[in-house]
Amino acid sequence: MEILRYTEEHTVFRRKARAFFEKEVMPYTDEWEREGVVPRSIWKRMGVEALLCMDVPEAYGGKGLDFLYSVILAEELARTNCTGLAAPLHSDVVVPYITAYASEEPKRRYLPGCVSGDLITAIAMTEPDTGSDLASIRTTAVEDGDHVIINGQKTFISNGLLCDLLILAVKDPAEEILYQNIDLYLVEAGTPGFEKGHKLRKMGWNSQDTAELFFSDCRVPKANRLGMKGGGFIMLMEKLQQERLMCALVAVAGAENMLRWTIQYCEERMESGKPISKYQHNQFKIVEMATEIRLGRTFLDKLIADHMEGKSIVVEVAMAKYWTTEMAIRVADGCMDLHGGYGYYEQYPIARAWRDVRVMSIFAGTNEIMKGIAAKFMGL
Amino acid sequence: MDFSLTKELIDIQKAAGEFAKGEFDPDVALEHDEKQAFPLQIWKKAGKLGFIGVQIPEGYNGQGLGLLENTLITEAFCRQNSGIGMALALSDFGSELIRKFGNEDQKKRFLPPIGQGKSLITMACLEEDSSLTVPATTAKIVPDGFMVNGKKSFVPLGNLAEHLVVLCGVHSGNDPEEAIIIVKRNEEGVESLSMGEKAGMRMIPMDYVYFKGVKISKEGVIGQPERSPFYLREIFDEVRIETGAMGVGIAQGGLDMALEYSKKRVAFGRAIVDFDVIRNRLADMYADVEMARLITYKAAWAFDRGRPDKRFSVMSKMIPAQTACRVTHEALQIYGGQGYMKEGRIEQFYRDAKVLNLFLEPGHMQRNLLADEIAGKRGHSPREV
Repeated sequence: MEILRYTEEHTVFRRKARAFFEKEVMPYTDEWEREGVVPRSIWKRMGVEALLCMDVPEAYGGKGLDFLYSVILAEELARTNCTGLAAPLHSDVVVPYITAYASEEPKRRYLPGCVSGDLITAIAMTEPDTGSDLASIRTTAVEDGDHVIINGQKTFISNGLLCDLLILAVKDPAEEILYQNIDLYLVEAGTPGFEKGHKLRKMGWNSQDTAELFFSDCRVPKANRLGMKGGGFIMLMEKLQQERLMCALVAVAGAENMLRWTIQYCEERMESGKPISKYQHNQFKIVEMATEIRLGRTFLDKLIADHMEGKSIVVEVAMAKYWTTEMAIRVADGCMDLHGGYGYYEQYPIARAWRDVRVMSIFAGTNEIMKGIAAKFMGL
Repeated sequence: MDFSLTKELIDIQKAAGEFAKGEFDPDVALEHDEKQAFPLQIWKKAGKLGFIGVQIPEGYNGQGLGLLENTLITEAFCRQNSGIGMALALSDFGSELIRKFGNEDQKKRFLPPIGQGKSLITMACLEEDSSLTVPATTAKIVPDGFMVNGKKSFVPLGNLAEHLVVLCGVHSGNDPEEAIIIVKRNEEGVESLSMGEKAGMRMIPMDYVYFKGVKISKEGVIGQPERSPFYLREIFDEVRIETGAMGVGIAQGGLDMALEYSKKRVAFGRAIVDFDVIRNRLADMYADVEMARLITYKAAWAFDRGRPDKRFSVMSKMIPAQTACRVTHEALQIYGGQGYMKEGRIEQFYRDAKVLNLFLEPGHMQRNLLADEIAGKRGHSPREV
């Protein structure tokens, strides 16, 4: 019995997504990695092909499809080894805040563009001195009539340079109760006082335009606040479940890809007259990695099913995020080892994947935070 | 039994550490890492101050030091910057073959400029499939010398080095033999091609080197050709220990950075060094580094006493390589997002550490060799070096 029930429509969609990425992304990934950003045109192409924000209701230009479409898209995108095209971040992490919490007017204004690829989104929580400890952010929003005036700085923001619309986590200095002082605002690029910094230089994710963002006396209408005043922390807690689940999904899918390339490499590479896949040491290594990946996949699929049923699975998702990302890092290491000296060379996909995967135990909440959350919810 | 370093050794360690602190500018390191470029200026300076080719005897403008001294220097360099440290350590790659097995003429000719940081030398031993099994690169005997043909892979600084020490197959009599030959890089018929961008150890660009009918005089042959496998075995054991020194240095550097960062980074109202999890991790990292160091120092010490310990040589590549990967992994994790950024510096250590397991020979090779040593050889063991 399959844990996830994929229908014929899902399968057709998977084929379509795979064909699209093979044609529109894979041939250009190296170029985008060098340029440090993906072109806007690929976002628009994805929009045209209805590959963005598939869950957005039809009233706002979307298709109102189930979460399995997001799963399929992220898995197929992972096959491209192009981490920079952060479409799942847009479709399944950022835009769901708008769909769920924005008032009618901003929904009508922004959602159709999110679906069409005309509006690229990002979410900004992390600050230079505040990563894991969200409650201590320093970016402030001070009320001024119908507006708030925002001052502060954010960093490590994915889609930071391309984003047209940002969900920004801010603190209200007038509110003294911890956790009730955080709000989320929709901020449009081009709003006076909102400056994008330079692109950050990283170990991997080179085609991802991760950047710093600066706010100085940036006036944003109060109507752009998501949810109720002081509800930022609750909204984040609620939506982070899907973000972490997506993260686990990308980790498992990434590990599956790495192992697939590696098995192929081992079957083709000869040593002393036989493929290196015929050596016992290598076979055991491959089997061990395949086992870990299967364990991760089974756990993940179960969580996807639970998530789709609307269950609260905070502990399990925290466990999955930490375990699958560490597993993917282990698999990347093992796969590079099996490639021998060649795996270290960028012409082999494992080299980039090895560099890219290392951030996964850090972003979307460090694995230490995941264990802390699990411990807390386990009542420890 | 005495585990303490002598005053002379401590002085050398200190001098190397101070040189590295003063000269290994983080921005320069980042720039060379990004461009995949050998740090030529730093190497020249290190040569002038006597930090390069330290095992070359004083009579040939070297320092006449042992492998333990070399280990301490390499460790100190890699501790400050993994990439620059490895680049300097490998700038005399292969010179030990000349020092130990070369004749007087060869020593006089080739060694002095190496120790002064005036000439780079490298070793070309691996074939296309990265194996050492009877080289496909051949040296054909011709009047007055040899004609070399073939292609070598994974040659460090294959394009920059002035000389290459090349392992060739020689087909003379009935049995295939080998010869180790010194070839001038700009000799007619020698060409190099970059192996491309790699994930780490970027300050040591790797090349393919092609030999197309390269004429070499008899004077270029090191020692007695029939003894070549033995020479290579000796040198590999030495390089394994040097690789261990790199691993210890990279791991120590990662630990240094993790300690420094965790003391100043505040989360949830306190320095993260005060969290249980971080403290335990730092303790594990420290213990790991010390274990790797003990193995490497013992291997180097035994080597210098003229009684190399094969098992320790093998372990001194195996253990520090793992340690460097593990410790830099943990250090990067402690840094969090900043650790993934180039400016954080730790990411370079993490990328560089990974090569230690792959460089020269894959990690499982050391286990095979160690197994041979402790469990006896099996029927058809692959060629051992």
